[in-house]
Amino acid sequence: MKTTTIFLIICFACVASAMGQGKYATKTGQINFEASVPSFEEVKAKNTDVSAVLDAASGNFAALALMKGFRFKVALMEEHFNENYIESSKYPKATFKGTIQDFDISEVAGKKEYLIKGTFNLHSVDKNMEVPAVISVNGDVVSLTAHFVMHPEDFNIKIPSIVSNKIAEDVNVSVEFNLQQQ
Amino acid sequence: MGKQRKFLILVLILALIGFFGYNYLYQDHRDIKTETSQLEITAPYLLERFKKNDAEDLLNKTITVTGIVTDLEEGAITLEESVYASFNESFSNVSVNQKVSIKGRCIGYDELFEIVKLDQCSLIK
Repeated sequence: MKTTTIFLIICFACVASAMGQGKYATKTGQINFEASVPSFEEVKAKNTDVSAVLDAASGNFAALALMKGFRFKVALMEEHFNENYIESSKYPKATFKGTIQDFDISEVAGKKEYLIKGTFNLHSVDKNMEVPAVISVNGDVVSLTAHFVMHPEDFNIKIPSIVSNKIAEDVNVSVEFNLQQQ
Repeated sequence: MGKQRKFLILVLILALIGFFGYNYLYQDHRDIKTETSQLEITAPYLLERFKKNDAEDLLNKTITVTGIVTDLEEGAITLEESVYASFNESFSNVSVNQKVSIKGRCIGYDELFEIVKLDQCSLIK
């Protein structure tokens, strides 16, 4: 069904990290996306096996989500997402590679907002994006959360007109990464 | 009499359409735990197949992977640094360096960690 949703995928996360050095990583990052339209079946999915890596010194951040890892409440919706919209057998993953702007882990103190500039690759289409993210540091864990909107047509994902009124054009994506110092 | 019968038949047909339509739209998710696995493979060999791009046919399939446990975390087991298996259920009696077999759904190759990921896993002894 709606597939628009699709995109979401991405993730990005980012992160800051702590203490100025070192690499931070997670294999259990979360991405949620929702493209529901009121009074229709909710179009919502969650992936809890998203990988992400942050290099605290440079602020470089990368994330990777396997499309088949997105789980929907309705099995048929999950099947349509994979087969008709995101084409997960042909394009099994979504990635984000970018840099956290002006990132210095020693300055994070508690919580701080950053801008991450980078490239999403989804459905084999590259798109440059700037994503605001909140980063916090707690001991040897760097947490990064972000909320942003994606549009399926930007990634060459076509929603048939028969279902387009049931899938929102704006897909709300939220991501959460708790990156552990390596 | 004839009219009444026609009406009843119509109601019956509508009920059947509704029943099968609902079951189609709201069919159950796959239950990986009870599915028969389509391949048995060792963890390093599975990783090698993905690195050689020879594993597309495994995506979304239920497979059994065997290997030595190299890392344990909550809800996930890593086999020989090659396969990352995530569980929906909790598991016990597993320790690092133990040899185990895990059944799960193959969801793809993670280039960041150079590891193959499985989800909805269960342990088979």
